[in-house]
Amino acid sequence: MKKQWTSIALGIVTAIGGFLDAGTIATSGEAGAKFGLGLVWIVLVATVAVILLVEMVGRFTAVSKKTYAEAIREDFGFRFYLLPLASEVIAESMLLAAELGGVAIALSLFTGISWHILFPFVALFVWIIIWRGSFDLIENGPALLGLVTLSFLAGIVALGGIPAQLLPTLWHPSFQQGTVADYLYLVAAILGSTISPYLLYFYSSGAREERWTGASLLLNRVTAIVGMGFGSMGSLALLVLAAIVLQPLNISASTLGELGIAMAKPFGIVGSLLFASVLFATCLGAALEVVLAVSYNIAQGFGWEWGENKKPAEAARFNLVMTIFLLIAVAIGLTGIDPLQLALFASTIISLFLPISLSPFLILMNDPQYLGKKTNRRFTNIAMVCILVLAFLVALISLPLEIITGGG
Amino acid sequence: MSYLVKRGHIEMWQKSGTCIGLLLLLCILAGCTITDSAFARTTGNAGSAFAAAMTTLAYEHEGKITSAYAASSFADFQSELTGTDQTLLAQGAANTQTVRHLLALYTPAMQVIDAPCLSNACDWRTQDALLQRASQAFLEAGNT
Repeated sequence: MKKQWTSIALGIVTAIGGFLDAGTIATSGEAGAKFGLGLVWIVLVATVAVILLVEMVGRFTAVSKKTYAEAIREDFGFRFYLLPLASEVIAESMLLAAELGGVAIALSLFTGISWHILFPFVALFVWIIIWRGSFDLIENGPALLGLVTLSFLAGIVALGGIPAQLLPTLWHPSFQQGTVADYLYLVAAILGSTISPYLLYFYSSGAREERWTGASLLLNRVTAIVGMGFGSMGSLALLVLAAIVLQPLNISASTLGELGIAMAKPFGIVGSLLFASVLFATCLGAALEVVLAVSYNIAQGFGWEWGENKKPAEAARFNLVMTIFLLIAVAIGLTGIDPLQLALFASTIISLFLPISLSPFLILMNDPQYLGKKTNRRFTNIAMVCILVLAFLVALISLPLEIITGGG
Repeated sequence: MSYLVKRGHIEMWQKSGTCIGLLLLLCILAGCTITDSAFARTTGNAGSAFAAAMTTLAYEHEGKITSAYAASSFADFQSELTGTDQTLLAQGAANTQTVRHLLALYTPAMQVIDAPCLSNACDWRTQDALLQRASQAFLEAGNT
């Protein structure tokens, strides 16, 4: 019993610390700086969606003893499986490059050394961890460090809370002329960054690595609801901080370093370094999870031996995929594209691909052959379909607009 | 029977494709009314970057951020703002006077971005004033 509660506590803590990544930091910061509290609603919608999805994928794996990728391949066939796989690889390779760039920028903010120089070393560091580290280290280490995201809440309190004049932007965001496309683009990017499918592949495979069973359903539910619920507070707090500090200064948070100014105002040097620590921990955690998620996906879909707790020689192709995928992301990062812009773009692309990535999941979650009596209820299905359609339509509208105008 | 089902599927995909195509076309056509002009976007982004640089410089001298943090941030501002003059010249043909005014402020502000005063041995307040002037002018141009 004590062990189960320890697992639950650890699950909650890691979910809180692991919620943010380069995508959520970029989108929340820019949303607050440009539209005040006008995009809080979509962070809340995305949080509900991610809670539902994480709970579902955990339940699916615990009950069926199959990962998401294995089930897609088994139920829909290999050809169909290639569709979500392709969308996953395209979107997540960009996101991985952004995460690695985020870690490099965090180190750059500490040292003053250009992030372009630090980038290859960060990639090497990530490769060493995934090559040598255990699943527990990868899951819990950066996520525990990521608890410093709670300092964003302390920042809001230190600034005296949310100013009264900012509150009306909650329901009436202040649009300047010609910013509707920016607003829609951020709606799609926030959904894409929060409901990123890599989270599901990682969570599902993690449940298998930790040998979850039907008895783990309580752990799963508490982690999903409490952990993800509290985790989104970091995202919301950063949005609010950016709205309080950056918007009045006309700073639109178009580089990651600008976001640290929001923490420097209440806490000075400590605040700016806390921000750099958050950036380092969350992007490192997300980079590790993205590499693993894509490798799990490919290895499971192709029926190869997989497992982060296995020695590289015991799961050779799984480890080879990790290395190749990391190299692809490094190649993207070395083009010099700003990680924040890359994170925003990747998040919007993910949003566009969400229906492809998640529609098989909704079908599987209603299959009693896998879940017995634990299939989805109607309300959950309707809620998920509505969110996916919203994400798809918004991304479909905003992406061409942003590409035409060269924004992002 | 299976032929009819297959044809039904093809028709459904054709209709869906047409709908999505029309939606995209509508979005692209509507783009001119719900997005900034390219010129306004360029000036707005540059104004915002100059404002961020100005605050970063001030915070560094007020002891709110470290020199390393400021140096790293200025490297990013440099990447973001380099080439803005060329973009303005390309986009602002219809508004030559504004472009000339902005370029007059851009050049000295970029000198600050390229070599910010991050120690007490130089005159950072003058640099801050240059950044502020550039920021205000670019933001105003972005809003008009």
